Amino acid sequence: MKRKLLSFIMCVALVMTALTGCGGSDSSSGGKQDKGELNIFIWTEYVPDSVIKQFEEKTGIKCNVSTYSSNEDMLSKVKSESEGTYDIVLPSDYMLQLMIEQGMLEELDKDALTNLSNINEVYLNPSYDPGNTYSAPYQGGVVAIAVNTKKVDKDITGYADLFDPSLAGQLVVLDDYRAIIGMTERSLGYSMNETDPDKLAEVEEKLLTLKDNVCLYDSDSPKSALISGDASVGAIWSAEIALAMEEVPDIKVVYPKEGAYVFMDNWAVLKGCQNFEGAMEFINFMLEPETAQAVSEEFPYLCPNQAAVETMGSDYSDNAAKNPPAEVISSGENVKNLDNDTLEIYNEMWTKLKQ
Amino acid sequence: MSKKYSKHQWKANVLPAIVTVGPVTVMLVLLVAVPLLYVAVMSFCTTDNYYNVVFRFSLENYKKLMNPDYLRIYAQSIIIAFMTTVICILIGYPFSYMIARTKSRKKQLLYMLVIIPFWTNSLIRIYGWRTFLGTNGWLNSALQAIHLTKEPLNFLYKQGTTVLGMVYCLIPFMILPLYTAIEKLDGNLLEASADLGARPVSTFFEVILPLTSSGIFSGSIMVFIPCLGYFFVANILGGGNSDVIGNLIERQFKSGNNWPLGAALSIILIIVTLILVRIYQRLGGDMDSLGV
Repeated sequence: MKRKLLSFIMCVALVMTALTGCGGSDSSSGGKQDKGELNIFIWTEYVPDSVIKQFEEKTGIKCNVSTYSSNEDMLSKVKSESEGTYDIVLPSDYMLQLMIEQGMLEELDKDALTNLSNINEVYLNPSYDPGNTYSAPYQGGVVAIAVNTKKVDKDITGYADLFDPSLAGQLVVLDDYRAIIGMTERSLGYSMNETDPDKLAEVEEKLLTLKDNVCLYDSDSPKSALISGDASVGAIWSAEIALAMEEVPDIKVVYPKEGAYVFMDNWAVLKGCQNFEGAMEFINFMLEPETAQAVSEEFPYLCPNQAAVETMGSDYSDNAAKNPPAEVISSGENVKNLDNDTLEIYNEMWTKLKQ
Repeated sequence: MSKKYSKHQWKANVLPAIVTVGPVTVMLVLLVAVPLLYVAVMSFCTTDNYYNVVFRFSLENYKKLMNPDYLRIYAQSIIIAFMTTVICILIGYPFSYMIARTKSRKKQLLYMLVIIPFWTNSLIRIYGWRTFLGTNGWLNSALQAIHLTKEPLNFLYKQGTTVLGMVYCLIPFMILPLYTAIEKLDGNLLEASADLGARPVSTFFEVILPLTSSGIFSGSIMVFIPCLGYFFVANILGGGNSDVIGNLIERQFKSGNNWPLGAALSIILIIVTLILVRIYQRLGGDMDSLGV
């Protein structure tokens, strides 16, 4: 009898816990959707927590932040989640274009974005989003070369110098196949978006000569290997170089003479956004000069916010790593979306390099 | 009468079964069987130009897996896993023997030494190794301080570093089954062996080793298989120069954004695992000691 009673109690307990589980998740997804929250999906090491906290205090909107470390990661995550999981994303140029083509984005409300006028006109109306219908620029940069002048005698002026055998085992490069293959293409005088199989065969041959030079592939924090001295040359994000230079004065930034990989990251709002007004408020806040300045102090990428650049003064403007010269940007190239067959060739090359 | 009996039987047998085993079954089906099936189906799909998965039957992914570049990485993974397993046995066996044969309270202490690192995330511990082995790391500073080396040595970002990290992460999985096997060893057998004139060396090879081989087998399986998939160790300590199959899978699901190919690679990994477990069973391995 006792055993029967016990099993009955356990039965009841099981059913109860199962039901509470349902109830709990229902109330949390249904009850809190009252305009008070924003789900933001952004790059790692790119938007300071302090800035987001400031926005929360100012507006009372609660921000749920998730992060990604590559455009492709972001895309697959957004696609695998249901609509409305994320409200705001921060894709780079080519990924933004792909998302627009796929109809994944919501048009922005220009009337709400009063601070868009702070952006330098050079960065408005980009080719990947004419008229900024879907996006507002956040920060950008260059894949530049960092050289520890104390450890390297060779005069490095361009991407081509990174393939020199004298640099064996000294390189830290981004773990990003479009960046590193693009760099190889530029060193041969080709476009970073080359699709001709014959030229790509040549690129592959050249790329594989980089193998012995690379000691580390790292996209998250490539500056660490430079600062610790494990690597003496890097092909990495310009802001990472700026931060490494602050730690180790011997490190210098070199903009490749072949023309650099240039990128711009942009705020955009996903279809099915749960809080469109809040999203506009957030993007507008990010376009404020004070915000852009606070961001730049922590993550010194290229700042398209003209008003912020003026108030930051020479600390930003005269720092070649933080503020890439205008001709570097104008002579640089953006990554573009390629067809599947070409991307497969790119992927194969990358696999060969990394084995 | 018979109806009443069957009703009673239902109450006695089926109801408790549903209540006790039911939830676990539902959980296993939903969280193990369905996802596995999904991976299997996905591995026969393709992607369109926007990285979307297209559900159209194709053997393309499996054809790509036979690419010589991939084959080289499989070979490299197996070499790394094999070296890791051998080193784990060489270090783990004496250590396990010591724990098993220690009678005092030290035994618990030694056991805890194996368990405690588990309480810290392995990712953090692997990053710790990177700091320790770096050009300006402790090891290089120490070597230079005692004038053993003049210049800092490059320890990081080599295949050997990856093996070191794997050994470090996985050695508890070797020590624990070995400990169980050695603990069961009957001390009288060793005495008998000695009485019959065997030297310690031949006692070890003729008596101890055969009797504890089950521990070596299950330990090897539990070290070898994770090795093929521990992509973060190869990433952090190998610097991308000693990838294992896990790295290939990770790349397809993340930057490559080719989930079907990643799924096909996962299926290969599952097949390799099943083959190894099958070999283990054939050799007389006990599934219980794998903890599955």
